[in-house]
Amino acid sequence: MPDPAPLRCAVIGAGRMGMVHGHLLQVYAGTELVGFADPQPGARDRLASQGLKAPVFPSVAALLSAAAPDAVFVCTPTHTHLAVMRECLAARPVHVFMEKPVATSVRDAEAILALARERGVMHAAGYVYAHLPVVEEARRLLAADALGEVLRFSAHGYISEVFGPKSGWFFQRELSGGGVVANMGSHVLFILGWMFGPIARVMATTRSHASAVEDSAQALLWFKGGVTGMLDTSWSMPGAQMLDYGVTIDGRQGTLVLERERILLHLLRAAAGQPSGWSEIPASDLPADTAFDISPHIGGEAFYRQLRVFETACRARVLPFCSLEEALNTQRMIEGIYASAASGQPFEVP
Amino acid sequence: MELALDLSPPESKHYRTWSERLSSVARYSQPDEIHAACEMARARGASAVLAVLDPRAETALRALQTWRDLSLWVVVPNMYAFIRDLTDRGLVGAALSRFRRLGPGAMVATGLAALRDLGPLARSDFVAGALWLAQMELAAARGLRIRRVFLHPQLTEIALAGRVLTLFTEFARRARALGLEAGLITHNPVVAAEVLGGEIERFAAVVSPCNAKGYKMVPGREACEAVFRSHPRRFWASEVTAGGAVPLATAVAGVDGLPLGGAVVPEVPPI
Repeated sequence: MPDPAPLRCAVIGAGRMGMVHGHLLQVYAGTELVGFADPQPGARDRLASQGLKAPVFPSVAALLSAAAPDAVFVCTPTHTHLAVMRECLAARPVHVFMEKPVATSVRDAEAILALARERGVMHAAGYVYAHLPVVEEARRLLAADALGEVLRFSAHGYISEVFGPKSGWFFQRELSGGGVVANMGSHVLFILGWMFGPIARVMATTRSHASAVEDSAQALLWFKGGVTGMLDTSWSMPGAQMLDYGVTIDGRQGTLVLERERILLHLLRAAAGQPSGWSEIPASDLPADTAFDISPHIGGEAFYRQLRVFETACRARVLPFCSLEEALNTQRMIEGIYASAASGQPFEVP
Repeated sequence: MELALDLSPPESKHYRTWSERLSSVARYSQPDEIHAACEMARARGASAVLAVLDPRAETALRALQTWRDLSLWVVVPNMYAFIRDLTDRGLVGAALSRFRRLGPGAMVATGLAALRDLGPLARSDFVAGALWLAQMELAAARGLRIRRVFLHPQLTEIALAGRVLTLFTEFARRARALGLEAGLITHNPVVAAEVLGGEIERFAAVVSPCNAKGYKMVPGREACEAVFRSHPRRFWASEVTAGGAVPLATAVAGVDGLPLGGAVVPEVPPI
């Protein structure tokens, strides 16, 4: 059977993430990069100098009309996502991959999801760490009931990024959606939501000690399925140029420790293909299935796998696990953390 | 097998646990500690040090080179530091902060180079920008005796994805003009061999993951090893412990059967 025609993809926003997605779309066998939309006059020369030869259009409307993509990758600043989504879906349905965080508020994230559902398109959010083989394996073990009933967890997400005053849209809450919680901790929140389901209640504190947004946060999270736990996150932690995450999960039948390069497992009885007692699953034992590693420093195979998941979803017309529905759960956690921190009270997620 | 000590900043590496990260970052936080690590590596037979230059590493390497001749390979530009500066000060501010660190002679030389490339630099041309940054860092490190200069992998992977051959050929040409050997670090050795073709011979060393488990060997172990075999002694193994899953001594022995130039290791195992 011949290979299907490549999925025609375009990138909206030619910043750092737009460039990463553009390169992957160009090297990935199942996609064709058909254009960029970016209003900056120098974007075309800048992209071409990196070998990104697809045409650059000054607006979303011009891109959609001239390049007729099957799918778009939205890589513009967070506060523009809803408007871009409206514009993308106004003329004809296109599948949408949206960089994280999806929106600056739950209301916007709901509106974005509603638009996607209304138009019947496939969609995904760019929580890339969920695509690391070691994270996927941890999720598989939980889904296979390796730990029995899950009771609680503790998680962290640390990075060395903010040690003094910062400027730019990324550090303005109304443009970026918040600070470390929305932009870094959200990677871990997405993984937690994927593992434990819809969020029910949040109690949190946040602190701004360097920038104008929160630089660290501690959150107690109650999931509707009964799992509770804590996330500690900061982007002012020395020692981690890339996001360092970890999750320890306790169940009635064992404990799972998810780390960057391995899973540690202690089971009271053999389950999910794992023996009883302590065992270690190194990341190197898990297949990466990656043809190009765009950014080894942050786990570049995850970007490649993320693209494959999205491409497969668009072709099969089955929503991927990283859909905007799942991302809405993450957005509810983000907003719950901010609401609780502001009020000093637990926040009940509606 | 020849060994080179990996002196990239401890903050930039992956660790199995948070506490392992904190221990390593604390252990290499002072120039004296880095100097001592180089001494130990040399005593155990390492023939080179591969370093991303930051103030700590530079101080340590200057001290080391006052009396030792361990071959120094540097990775330029320091993209982690540059990206952080980029967020804080913008492109022009980040570039200017590097320019201001140069001595008068280096300022003139790199300033003239920038003037020659003013048009491309003003257009944020990828090749011109990358080369100028690399040139500024090398100029700032003039006091060090450098043998090989490696293009930073973040730039390498982007250039490979975009098949920007001129970045590689021009980097190698400029390195040679400075009397240095050029090198590359990449997780995509198969694509590198394909994009570079015969130009790969301009690079004295190409550092890529190679281990007994095939970890990080993209697109797969067999394809990577075929490339290593078709370019004997040119490739150096990194990630030999497969993310810490294989003990270092076993790991080094595990890649010894391939015709590699050597291995870049986080520490040199005892003899």
